Amino acid sequence: MAHFPAESVHLLLAKWKAGDQNALDDLIPLVYNELHAMAHHYLRAERPDHTLQTTALIHEAYLRLAEQGPFPTENRNHFVAIAATLMRQVLVDYARRYRANKRGADCTIKLESNFELASPKEEKDVDVLLLDDALNRLAERDPQQSRIVELRFFAGMTVEETAAVMDISPATVKRDWSMARAWLLRRLKRGESGDKGRVAKN
Amino acid sequence: METKEEWQRIKDLFGAALERTPAERDTFLREACAGDASLMEEVESLLKAHDSADGALERPPNLPLPGAMSIGSIGPYRLLEKIGEGGMGQVWLAEQSAPLQRQVALKLIRWSKFDDSLIHRFQAERQSLAVMDHPSIARVFDAGATPEGQPYFVMEYVRGVPITDYCDQKRLKVRDRLELFIKVCEGVQHAHQKAIIHRDLKPANILVSEVDGKPVPRIIDFGLAKAVGTEIDSMHTRVGSFVGTPGYMSPEQCDPAAKDIDTRADVYSLGVVLYVLLTGSLPFDSQQWKNKPFDEVLRRLREEDPLRPSTKVSTDRETSSAIAEARGTDPKQLVSLLQGDLDWITMKAVEKDRTRRYGSPSDLAADIRRYLKNEPITARPASVSYRVQKYVRRHKYSVAAAAVFVALLVSFAVLQNIQLHKIRRERDREDRIAEFMTGIFKVSDPAERIGSKVSAQELLDKATKDIDTGLAKDPEFQSRMMYVMGRAYLNLGLYPEAQSLFQRALKVSGSALGQEHKDTLHIVGELAWTLFQEGRLSEAESMQRRLLDTQRRVLGPEDGETLGTMGNLAITLCEEGRCSEAAKLGREQFDIKRRLFGSEDFYTLASMDNLAIMLERSNQLAEAEKLEREALGIQLRVFGRENLGTISCMTDLADIERDMGRDEEALKLYRETLELEQRILGPEQPETAVTRYSLACIQTRRGLKDEAITNLEYAIDHGLQPRMDLQIEKDPFLNSLHGDPRFAVLVAHAKKVAQSKTAARAPETE
Repeated sequence: MAHFPAESVHLLLAKWKAGDQNALDDLIPLVYNELHAMAHHYLRAERPDHTLQTTALIHEAYLRLAEQGPFPTENRNHFVAIAATLMRQVLVDYARRYRANKRGADCTIKLESNFELASPKEEKDVDVLLLDDALNRLAERDPQQSRIVELRFFAGMTVEETAAVMDISPATVKRDWSMARAWLLRRLKRGESGDKGRVAKN
Repeated sequence: METKEEWQRIKDLFGAALERTPAERDTFLREACAGDASLMEEVESLLKAHDSADGALERPPNLPLPGAMSIGSIGPYRLLEKIGEGGMGQVWLAEQSAPLQRQVALKLIRWSKFDDSLIHRFQAERQSLAVMDHPSIARVFDAGATPEGQPYFVMEYVRGVPITDYCDQKRLKVRDRLELFIKVCEGVQHAHQKAIIHRDLKPANILVSEVDGKPVPRIIDFGLAKAVGTEIDSMHTRVGSFVGTPGYMSPEQCDPAAKDIDTRADVYSLGVVLYVLLTGSLPFDSQQWKNKPFDEVLRRLREEDPLRPSTKVSTDRETSSAIAEARGTDPKQLVSLLQGDLDWITMKAVEKDRTRRYGSPSDLAADIRRYLKNEPITARPASVSYRVQKYVRRHKYSVAAAAVFVALLVSFAVLQNIQLHKIRRERDREDRIAEFMTGIFKVSDPAERIGSKVSAQELLDKATKDIDTGLAKDPEFQSRMMYVMGRAYLNLGLYPEAQSLFQRALKVSGSALGQEHKDTLHIVGELAWTLFQEGRLSEAESMQRRLLDTQRRVLGPEDGETLGTMGNLAITLCEEGRCSEAAKLGREQFDIKRRLFGSEDFYTLASMDNLAIMLERSNQLAEAEKLEREALGIQLRVFGRENLGTISCMTDLADIERDMGRDEEALKLYRETLELEQRILGPEQPETAVTRYSLACIQTRRGLKDEAITNLEYAIDHGLQPRMDLQIEKDPFLNSLHGDPRFAVLVAHAKKVAQSKTAARAPETE
């Protein structure tokens, strides 16, 4: 559940950017817990519109954790960058847990798994676990593309924000994003679970 | 899997193909792949996926929502029907099969497998919850965890409706509502005695059902917030833009830094429930908080005082008749019913500062019982000084130190006034004063003024406006306040405002107390003094002469007020150049004072000092010096160096030394005094400015023209009175500056400044 940070997020981010890897170690559970607690909180039938975008959640998490005062936008972007990975993790954990509950033989409470992510235009659901797996495969080939997907999709960052956080050009973000998305969609469509990529010649 | 090189090749070709039109792509790829069919196939398939992506993954995902839980059973409990879902989890109506068959409420707690502490807290808490046994509290039967570890509570199933809904549905009168509410307080008190705090009291957790036709409240979820973790309840308020009603949480629970939540948090929540029972709305409008930044919501919860219940009802005009109807009355009657005791009881329960709340639910209940029995209640209006302090504490960054000083000065005067005039309707009056005093500080919405400072003058201006409207029912006090505010303006050197206030005070006091009442006459004296300060000497003189006659006749020739007027008249005369006449009057007054009060008396010493100046101005320098040195000696002995009387004697002695041609001595004294004044009074005070002016005069005579002009300019811009500004041109001490172009500029500047000081802030009413 939510724990208030002993050290402010601001400070941890600053330390991390200054090269202190321990700061990131402190920051990650903090952000994860916060996101998790909040996701938990929002998983309620009470909500009138029944949806909440992960980006709104990250924004709230940021506000909750970063109470200490005005923050440079730069810090906010770095926070969101960390939160993107963790948001993905939160969703996967949820999906796994519910899936386990559904299958568990000795479970007294049966829960229906409904963990597809709505992809609005196509009205086709994306399974979060499949997407996660596909992203892992993509990361083996191209960590940068995988990261871009995390930032763009899970945290809703714009091309420019993504470029700034990753310290690459917006043009590169655009190109990599197009390819990563095509690659992921193709994989999800094929329903691949193993590695059925192109077989290497030679 | 592709090799690095292969991946890079695919990537390059994909990127390059995208930059071409679809028609060109085929040719491009054919050439680029140069017969590598699988490479071409790969890129083509990616391009195809890209073309049909159609916005996929463009928008961030929505949070997945879990589907409804299917019917099942947990241990001996068979789940029958989901009866609720909230922040904590789901509530199920369940049937217990063993050891006895009964219906229970089973609450499944939302949990996270990542948080082990929940289980531990839960185990600790379930023990204590079992010890509660009170008719107003729903029993906790059991607690445990599902095989996967999800914790749950089993509680008495209460068929009831939230207390607020019940009262409205049954149209309970205020008295009946209060009696029901007392029962709730008793239940909470019982839990507190068992060291259990609810932490989440709200109407939804206080259910009312009827037993033998009588309403019986039952509090549910006692201690659950703690067992489940305080983070959950605080979240209600913390994510204000997404969740509807934060209102019941105490300010300390909304404060992330506050760790120690005690029973008074429940008192606050009870207070809010009472507020809603009485007024039909929350103390804070949750609608207004929607879409507000989260820290803004927190700040408001912690800082803003809610409207009193009676005010709330009377301001919500649109809803007030429906609200009154639900309480079996009409809006007018409801407001008058709430006014006074019920307002105070409720406001004390929802105090931000928990030390000012009722100490326990039973204290709150006891005060409500007193009200129902028409006995005096313990909740009384917060005292004036408390409210002022509270405001100042809250806005410590926006209220300037000077403003605080003025405020405390005024409130002191007000408090003194109350003690002087022991009056029958003291409580009413104290109430009005408190309203008035806090009103002063509401210069504008503090939220809009962050970073800016509220000056003393702004506070006074606000207060002046409020006097007319806020205090019209109590003319005696109104005139007193006008007088006090007038004095405050006078002390700040804001003469037109002071004059206007004294004139208005005079009018009100004259008709309330009589034209020849001591207090009315005192105001005349202040008005005359203000005129003098503005340089309207002949007006001041004739007013003082008439006043002196009246005071001699009404109060007697040796009354302190009469003597004061004599002294002031003497000063006016001297300023008009009739210094011998002034000295004669001054001597007369000084002798009486010394005889009545002795030489070491503060006022006697002031007269002595003044007389010395008059003697100096009428050219009786030796006698002036002798008298002034005597006065300074007594001052130093009795009051010490850092004393306004001492400083005054020092500057006046310096003037005399100057006139006697002892320039070195005079210069030394002026510099010494200036240093003292700047330290004690500050650089902008009129006294400091006058000393600087005098220093400039002597510097002029000593040929230190540059320094003199610098000092004059500084004095003009920093507190020199208008009459002194106007005097510069003709002042003989400055004669040797005439002809210096800088002096002409200075004179023009002084005139302009004097004009702006008197005219720019013209009185609103004359």
